[in-house]
Amino acid sequence: MNPTETVLVIGSGIAGMEASLMLSKAGKKVFLVERLPLIGGNVIKTGESFPNMECSTCLVAPIQQEILQDSNIEVLTVSDIISISGKAGDFAISVRKRARYVNIGACLGCGMCYPVCPVTQPNNWEQNLVEKKAIFVECAGSLPNVPVIDPALCLRLNGGEECNLCMEACMFGAIDFSEKEEILEINAGAVIVAAGFETIDAKEIENLGYGKYPGVFTAYELERLLASNGPTEGKLRMRDGETKPGRVAIIHCAGRDKVGYCSNVCCSYSARHAHFMKEKLPEVEIFDIYSDLCLPDKHYQKLNTEIRNGTSSYIYQSDIAKMKIEELEDKLLIQYLNEQEAEVSLEVDMLILTVAIKPAAGLEELADLLEIEIDKYGFIKTAAGEIGSVCTSRSGIFVAGCAEGPKDIPCSVLQSEAAVAQVMRLLES
Amino acid sequence: MSDKIGIYVCECGPNISSKVDIERILEEIAALEDFRDKELIVKQHKLLCSVAGKAFLEEEIKANELTHLICAACSPRDHDSTFKEVCKKAGLNPYMYKIVNIREQCAWVISDKEKATDKAIQYIHAGMDRVVYQQPLIEKQLDSNPDVLVIGGGIAGLQSALTLAGKNRRVFLVEKSAELGGTSIHFQKLLPRQGSDTATRNRKIKEVNKNPYIKVFTSTELSKIVGFLGNFEIVLKNSENDSETELLAGAVVLANGFQQANPQDFEGYNYTDNDEVYSALEIEKMYSETNQITMKSGELPKTVALVHCVGRKEVGYCSKICCNYLIKISDYLQSISSDIEIIDLFQDMCLPEKEDQEYYEELAARVIHSQRVTGTKVAGNKLTYTGINGRETTIEPDMIILAPAIIPAADNVHFANLLNIELHETGFFQEAHIKINPVSTNTDGVFVVGANRGACSISDAVIQAQAAAGKVLTQLIPGQKIIPEVMVSEILEAYCTGCQTCLEVCAYGAIYYDAERGISVVNEAICRGCGNCVGSCPSGSIRTRHFTNPQLYQEVKEALRK
Repeated sequence: MNPTETVLVIGSGIAGMEASLMLSKAGKKVFLVERLPLIGGNVIKTGESFPNMECSTCLVAPIQQEILQDSNIEVLTVSDIISISGKAGDFAISVRKRARYVNIGACLGCGMCYPVCPVTQPNNWEQNLVEKKAIFVECAGSLPNVPVIDPALCLRLNGGEECNLCMEACMFGAIDFSEKEEILEINAGAVIVAAGFETIDAKEIENLGYGKYPGVFTAYELERLLASNGPTEGKLRMRDGETKPGRVAIIHCAGRDKVGYCSNVCCSYSARHAHFMKEKLPEVEIFDIYSDLCLPDKHYQKLNTEIRNGTSSYIYQSDIAKMKIEELEDKLLIQYLNEQEAEVSLEVDMLILTVAIKPAAGLEELADLLEIEIDKYGFIKTAAGEIGSVCTSRSGIFVAGCAEGPKDIPCSVLQSEAAVAQVMRLLES
Repeated sequence: MSDKIGIYVCECGPNISSKVDIERILEEIAALEDFRDKELIVKQHKLLCSVAGKAFLEEEIKANELTHLICAACSPRDHDSTFKEVCKKAGLNPYMYKIVNIREQCAWVISDKEKATDKAIQYIHAGMDRVVYQQPLIEKQLDSNPDVLVIGGGIAGLQSALTLAGKNRRVFLVEKSAELGGTSIHFQKLLPRQGSDTATRNRKIKEVNKNPYIKVFTSTELSKIVGFLGNFEIVLKNSENDSETELLAGAVVLANGFQQANPQDFEGYNYTDNDEVYSALEIEKMYSETNQITMKSGELPKTVALVHCVGRKEVGYCSKICCNYLIKISDYLQSISSDIEIIDLFQDMCLPEKEDQEYYEELAARVIHSQRVTGTKVAGNKLTYTGINGRETTIEPDMIILAPAIIPAADNVHFANLLNIELHETGFFQEAHIKINPVSTNTDGVFVVGANRGACSISDAVIQAQAAAGKVLTQLIPGQKIIPEVMVSEILEAYCTGCQTCLEVCAYGAIYYDAERGISVVNEAICRGCGNCVGSCPSGSIRTRHFTNPQLYQEVKEALRK
């Protein structure tokens, strides 16, 4: 392993994938480290992408396939960084590759193993809207299309029971209970941190009723409800999976005051959400309750305008902290202050909260481990005093995508391409 | 040596084998004796894409000296490239192979095994009929020039040049005005998140000027460019003395900037140069030159109104940076005098980056009187706004500062024609893909960065500049050859009438007209093989390699038999 020809990329979302493919095409060896069993990041959770309503899977699946088939890119799923030493141009990095218990080379992804598994658990990748087994793929179309066994829940791996059901169901002998975790020592010249984001726990926004009333959803739950590979196969339904909502309200900027910044993407995706709710359920009535619209791209306002002309009624509210949600029988009553500062109310069946984006869980620990600084919000900090830098506080380690702050897909890709430029320069010198 | 077609049917574990009768496929295909006088070798394998499967296939190609190969397996999306690689390894030209999808198109969609098998046989047969018409295609290797032409000496152009230039790569930086710096040279301060002051930008200009690998051409414009990724021939023209410079470069980064709309072009903004009405850019220039913001009388204003979203409705997009720079102007004003009353008339406060909100809230708490409005009008020194409660108010502040929409630079159309790149309906440049390929264009090797592709902040422009540099640094590696697409169009000279219809439909500018011979000619290095020209040619003189009419007709004819 020649460190000047090798790059380690942390996170396989759109930013990490773009960086890996570019570097591979330039002849670099890339180690793409992903803590989850599947690659693709948050982008693959969306059914369609804003603003041209392109199917996200169709956009991203070819990229994922290309990554998996690229002999210059070693994809390390279920893996974490455990240590790093050395300096720019010559880092020594240890990666823990946890056991998947399913042989990637032998498994074909036929899906015969998980129906027979007797253990169920909430599927957190699906926003806990459905359950999954102890052996699972996160959703239909996961790539690599190979299940993973959760050793904490598997009866055999955890409970010492002689359960062989998945092994018996597998026609390819791919299940391997004896698989052990591996520690890989990687010598790389540069590191790109593209560890993505997550959203705040909507329960923390006390006045908006999430967790208290079942009719309150997050926009990220809605995303999975609208996705054709999601729990309802793309049908807009309440939590029982059957009832169709008659009226839906989207509350913008949910949790913005808690994080102290605008999450950048919510106004855009809300327009997309309204579009697809209406397309899937034409009789649904939609309201967007907002105070400031943020549509920072030449392509974005057009769709927003279209949505406001017939798909959704935009309602201004002047103080999100003073909003109140109550449940009246099966309905949700939203109370808010209007343009005149008068309290008015709106009755809906379903409420969508566009919850604020925050740094991904574990980002702080990763930053500590890499010895790079984070900013006051917990995102990775870029070089002080530099405009538009992708350099972190440690030479040779770069940042891309939402690990640096909330941003949309094109901006994540741009930052990733910028990080690649800096990596190429570093490795050339 | 006689031709031999190898037909290998993949079981794909139970995926194919449980849903179609592979034995019957083998029998019926093998029974096609004397198939176009070719020898047939028909076999099955448990999993062709596996390591063992690929080794088996490689051995079969070599041992049987196959001239054509069919893999009846899955979708080409999954494993077309896998089998192409096997062909290359085994010494068979990969264009002499064809994948036939009997999984997604047969096994997975037809529950009746007999019918699924019939369809699979028919598809394999169609593939065989196609593959015998296929021709070996040879990849060409072209030398490439790693040098880069950067157009525009603003912050995006400066950053592109700095990120690209090095001992193996020269940069030619062309600026039409007499000095580097672009629009932001007029800014006294940058936003906190963009660095504390102008030092960063001035440092970049210095770095560019002293970089031995960057050649700066000021007062210069691009006058002519022909070529393709890796090989562009360029002519520059100096606007002062009309002298021309010829250059060669492998890529072009266009950073020609933006302009600020004239508010008087929008309805409701009626004022003259004598009124106390200013655009934000005028204020930036004034503050940067004099360190003051004063009225025409030279006195400090007591009240200043900041007006957001001027022309937003007309242009149809948010200009992204105005809320932020008006906050910055408030910052200028309060640093000049804490007595200046600042009235901020905004519609939506757009603060899209993580540090923006804190900066705003801090100033809003101390010095800005924020007023949410739905519309504003200016008549002379009078400013009328409509509050969100619908009430109209007219005020006469000492100074009115407008944030007009950011609009495309006047020369975007010129560059679109010169470089053969597309414009978006707003007049900004169109990305190759708006989500996943934002700085590339429809012409390989030509990149757009900064505000020419839409309003953007300085930090955005710097990121984009580095992004384009990343594209160039990974696509044009010094000493490495580039391999153009081989499935390209070719024009049969004898049939071409020189009507030039194909030139109009080609999105890549890959076809030119050879006036001497009176025919159109395809530049194979630029062509991507989309086939637009094939469909448009009235005399049928164009074909796309690997997608010729006989190849397609034979396949379709057999697939649709019965």
